[in-house]
Amino acid sequence: MKVYKKPLPEPTPWSKPFWEGCKKHELLIQKCQDCREFIFYPKMFCPSCLSSNIGWVRAKGRGKVYSYMAVHSYQPTGFEDDIPYVVAIIELEEGIRMMSNIVECPPEKVKCDMEVEVVFKDVTEKITLPNFRPIST
Amino acid sequence: MANFKGKVAIVGIGEVPTGKFPNRLCLLNALESCRQAILDSGIKKDEIDTIIPTGTFFNRRYNTDMVFAKIVEELGLLGKAKNNFQVFAGGSSSSTMLKTACGLITAGIAKTILCVQSDKTGSAPVQEMIDLFATFGIPEEWETPYGFFMGGCGSLFATRYMHETGTTHEQIASVVVSMRKWAALNPNAMLRRELSVDEVLASKLVATNLTSREGNVLADGGAAFILTTAERAKDLRNPPVYPLGFGSRVCHYGISQDRDLTRLRFPEAAKEAYEMAGIAPNDVDIAEIYDGYPIFPLITLEGLGICQRGEAGAFVYEGNTWPGGKLPMTTNGGMLGQGHTAAGGGVAILVEAVRQLMGKAGERQVNGAKIAVETSMGGTFMDSHVVVLGRVLT
Repeated sequence: MKVYKKPLPEPTPWSKPFWEGCKKHELLIQKCQDCREFIFYPKMFCPSCLSSNIGWVRAKGRGKVYSYMAVHSYQPTGFEDDIPYVVAIIELEEGIRMMSNIVECPPEKVKCDMEVEVVFKDVTEKITLPNFRPIST
Repeated sequence: MANFKGKVAIVGIGEVPTGKFPNRLCLLNALESCRQAILDSGIKKDEIDTIIPTGTFFNRRYNTDMVFAKIVEELGLLGKAKNNFQVFAGGSSSSTMLKTACGLITAGIAKTILCVQSDKTGSAPVQEMIDLFATFGIPEEWETPYGFFMGGCGSLFATRYMHETGTTHEQIASVVVSMRKWAALNPNAMLRRELSVDEVLASKLVATNLTSREGNVLADGGAAFILTTAERAKDLRNPPVYPLGFGSRVCHYGISQDRDLTRLRFPEAAKEAYEMAGIAPNDVDIAEIYDGYPIFPLITLEGLGICQRGEAGAFVYEGNTWPGGKLPMTTNGGMLGQGHTAAGGGVAILVEAVRQLMGKAGERQVNGAKIAVETSMGGTFMDSHVVVLGRVLT
C-alpha cells in the first residue's frame, strides 16, 4: 500500500465500532434502544432522549446524494492528486446523513438526489473509509 | 416589550481599513479601532466599565493580546474597568457581542461597554489557511478525511439551493456584483473594482457552482463599537442607534448534519427578531446581510421575508440591492468586497449598519434609513442570527 497523505480519522472509544465495521466492509450506525432513533455520527448518548442505552445496527448502505461539490482547486493538503474529487452529503435510507466521497462516477455526472450505495476503500492498514457510488440501474 | 428596548444604545464606531498589512500588529488594529470608537462617541474613556474583545484562533499570540487585559492596559483603564472578557462565536460574534452587551447594560451590571475585534488572516500563507479551515469548526473525524474544507463550503449550499429553487449560477454570481458596487464606494474596502457577472463566472473554478471570485478574500482588519444606556446616549454627539430585536437559532456543527442547507434557520430567527422589534419585513430600510459566499445573502433575503422562496436570485440580479436600489444590501461590500477578517467580517457589517443609521456612510449613505437588519453566521454557517437596529424606537 503506498503512503497515504490525506488526513485520517482518529477513532474515539464510542466511534470505534463504526471504524471496525468499515474494516469488515460493514456500515454500522447507532440506534437508541429506548427511543429507537438512528444516530450518526456516533455519540456517547442519544441526542434525542439522552439515553446511554445505544446499540449498533448494520445500515442498508443505500441512500441519496443530498448535496455535493466537485473540488477543482484550493484543495486541502494531501488532495492534490485527487482533483477533481467529489465531496457529498449522503442521506441514508435510515434517515441519517453523512459526509463522504462519490467514486466510480465522473464528477459532472453527480446530481442531487442521485441514488448511491456504499463501497469501502481500505486506505491504510487501520482505516477503511466508506465511499459511495451510483447504483447501476 | 423586550426589556432592553429603549434602555440601550450604540453610540460610537471605529474601524481600520481592511487589507493585507503584514507589518501592522493585530493588537494595533484593535487599539486603533477602540480609539476611533471612543473619539467618535464623544464619551470619556474612563466611563467604559466593560471591554468585550472577540477572539482570533489562528494565532495564539494575537488571541492572547485580545483576550487578556492588554486592551484595558493600553487604554489606561486599569483599576477603572470592571470587566474584560471574550465573547466569540466565529462569524456571528458580531450579533453575539451585541446581545451580551445589551443584557449586561439592561441588567445594570455594566453601563458603558466597548466591543472590539481584530484579526490578521490576510497575512498568513494561503495553503496554511486552507488547511486550518479544513479542521477548525469542522468534525475532523467525519468530514475532514473526505477533503471537505471551509473554502469550498459555499458550493454545497449553492448546489442544493439551485436544485430546489431553479436559481441559476448567474443569479448567484450577481451577489458579488452587488457587493463590489458597494465596496467601490467604501474607502475601508479591499476589493474596490467592480465586476460583471461574466467576470465572476469566468474566474477559476474552485468547486461545483463556486468560482474564486465568489470566495471571500482573507484579510487583516479591525473594528469596534460602544454601547451605553439610552439615558447617557442623549447627551452624546451621535444619534443613538437602538437594538430593537434579536432572533437566532443554532443549525449545525458538522455541515453534513444540517437538515436544510437551503434555508438554515433564518425564517425562525427573523420571525423572532421582527416580533421583538414590532416590525414587518417591509419596514426594513437596509439589509446588512452576512455574506461569506454569494449563496448566503440569497438564503437570508428569503428567510427575512424580503423575497419569496426561490426569488432572491432574480431580485439581486435585477439590481434591487445595488446602490440606489429598492433594498440596499450589505452596504460596506461585505466579505466579498470589503474583505474577510474572520470574526471581523461580521463585526464590519454590524458597524456598517450603525454607520448608516447614524447617517455617516459618506458616498454610500442611504438617505433617511431608520430601520436596519443585521445578520450573521459563524463556523460553517452553523447559526442564523438576525438583529433589528433602529434610529428610532419601535
